[in-house]
Amino acid sequence: MDVPVWHAGLAQLEKDGKVAVVAIVQEQHPDRARLFLQWKRIGWPTLADSLDLLNLETVPLTIAVDEYGIVRFTELPMSAAKTIEQTFVNQTYPKPAALPPIDRPDLPALRAATTRNTAHAWRAYGDALSVWGDGRQWGDVIAAYQHAAQLEHGDAPTEFRLGSAFRKRYDSSARQPADFQDAERHWAQALDLDPNRYIWRRRVQQYGPHLETPEPFFDWIRDARAEIASRGETPLSLTVEPADSEYATAGASVAAAKVPAAEPDPRGRIRRDRGEFVAVETAVVPSTVTPGDTVRVHLTFRPNLRTKAHWNNEVDALVYWVSPPRAWTTDRRAVVAPNAAAEVSQEPRTVEFEVKVPETQAPGATAVPGYALYYVCEGVNGVCMYRRRDVSVPLQITARQKGTKR
Amino acid sequence: MRASVIWLLSAAVAVAALGGGAADQPKPKPIWERNAPLPPGFNVGDAFPTFALRSAADGRPVSVAEFRGKKLIVNIFASW
Repeated sequence: MDVPVWHAGLAQLEKDGKVAVVAIVQEQHPDRARLFLQWKRIGWPTLADSLDLLNLETVPLTIAVDEYGIVRFTELPMSAAKTIEQTFVNQTYPKPAALPPIDRPDLPALRAATTRNTAHAWRAYGDALSVWGDGRQWGDVIAAYQHAAQLEHGDAPTEFRLGSAFRKRYDSSARQPADFQDAERHWAQALDLDPNRYIWRRRVQQYGPHLETPEPFFDWIRDARAEIASRGETPLSLTVEPADSEYATAGASVAAAKVPAAEPDPRGRIRRDRGEFVAVETAVVPSTVTPGDTVRVHLTFRPNLRTKAHWNNEVDALVYWVSPPRAWTTDRRAVVAPNAAAEVSQEPRTVEFEVKVPETQAPGATAVPGYALYYVCEGVNGVCMYRRRDVSVPLQITARQKGTKR
Repeated sequence: MRASVIWLLSAAVAVAALGGGAADQPKPKPIWERNAPLPPGFNVGDAFPTFALRSAADGRPVSVAEFRGKKLIVNIFASW
C-alpha cells in the first residue's frame, strides 16, 4: 500500500500550502477507503470512482499535475515520495497559452442527446447521472447503460459500469431482489471482454469463492477499528459491512455461534414461511460455472416490512442448511447468521457458502437446495414463531470448452 | 499482489526519470512491465481531465478543477 508512504512524503508540503493532494478510490464501497485513511490519520479529500469512469486498468496510480492542469509525472513509484519536493513541487512550469477547459456536464442536454439513441449518448448520460444525480438515480443510470449496451454489444466499460450501478442500487433503499446477481453477471461479462482489467477482476473476486492462496481484501478492517478505538476515536461506520467472501479467512466475519452438527429438520416438519415474514435473495458468483468449478452462494434474508416482521433475538440464531445435489460438495453444511443485540430487529441477515460442481454434471440449468430455520415475530410485541424457509439457488452449468484449463 | 509486482518492476524506470530531472517524460518501458496505455489525459504533457466524481465523505460531486492553481498530487488507490 503506497498511500501511507505518499502521506509521509507530502504532509509537510501540504501543511505549507505548496501542494494539494486528492485521493481517488477505485472501490465499490468507498467508505472503506475512508476508514483506511482514518486509521492512517490521513485527511486527504477522497473521491469515489466505483464505476471506473476513469477507465483505468489497475491501481495504485499516482500522478503529479502542475498548477495549470498539465500532467508532469505519471505512474509515480512510492520511492518518488522522498524526492517529490525537488523534482516537482519546487519546479517552475510555463503557463500554457490557453488553460484546458473545465468540463461541466449539462445533464438536461445530455438527457436530450439520448433522443438520438446512440450508445455514446446513453453512456455519456449514464456517466454524468452517476455523478451529478440526486442520489436516487441508480435506476436511471442502469437504464442508460442498458440502452448503451443494447446499441453497442461488447463494450466492456459499459458492462462494468452497469454491474457497479446494479450493486449501487442493491445497497440503496431502491434495491431490487436481483440487483446483486445482475451486478455479478455484468462484471463477469466485462472481464470476459477485457480480461486484463485488474480492478474489474478484483471486483469479481471480492464476492467469489475464496482463492486458493487467499489475498486479503478487507482483513485490515478489524485491525483498523481496534486501533482507532484504542486511540479514543470512533471508527467511521460503513454503509455495507464486508461479506464473508471479502475476508481472506473463510468464516472470519461470522461470530462464533452454535452450528448444528446434524440436519436440523430432516423430515421437513417445521411450518413453512413462503415470504409472509422473510424474503430471500440469492446471488451466485460466478453466475455461470463449468463442471469441476466452485461457486460462492450469497443468500440475504430480509424481514417483510409490510407485515412488520422482526427477528426474535432472544433465541437461537438463523441456521441455513445446505443440501447439495448428490456428488456435489460444499465447504459447510450448516451456516449461522448471528442475532443482533436488541431483543427484536429487522436487519438483513446474510449467509454464504461454497459448492463445487462435480466433473460429471451435465450442462444446463440446475439448483442447489437448502433451507433456513429462524425465529420471527409479528411486529415488535407481536406473536413470535419458528419457521422454515425453503430455498432453491439457481445455477447455470456450461460445458467446458475443449482445451480450457480450470 | 500483481499490481505490487508491476509497480516494483516499473519503479526503477520511473525513479530514473525523476532523478534525471532534465526530462519530464520517462523512457518508454518494455511491454512486459507495462500495463495497458493510460487513458488520454493521464500521460505526461497531457491536460489532466477536469472530471468530477462524488466525494466519498458526503456524496457531493467534486471536480478536480477545484484544485487548479496549486500543484496537485492525484493518488488513485484501493484499500483491498
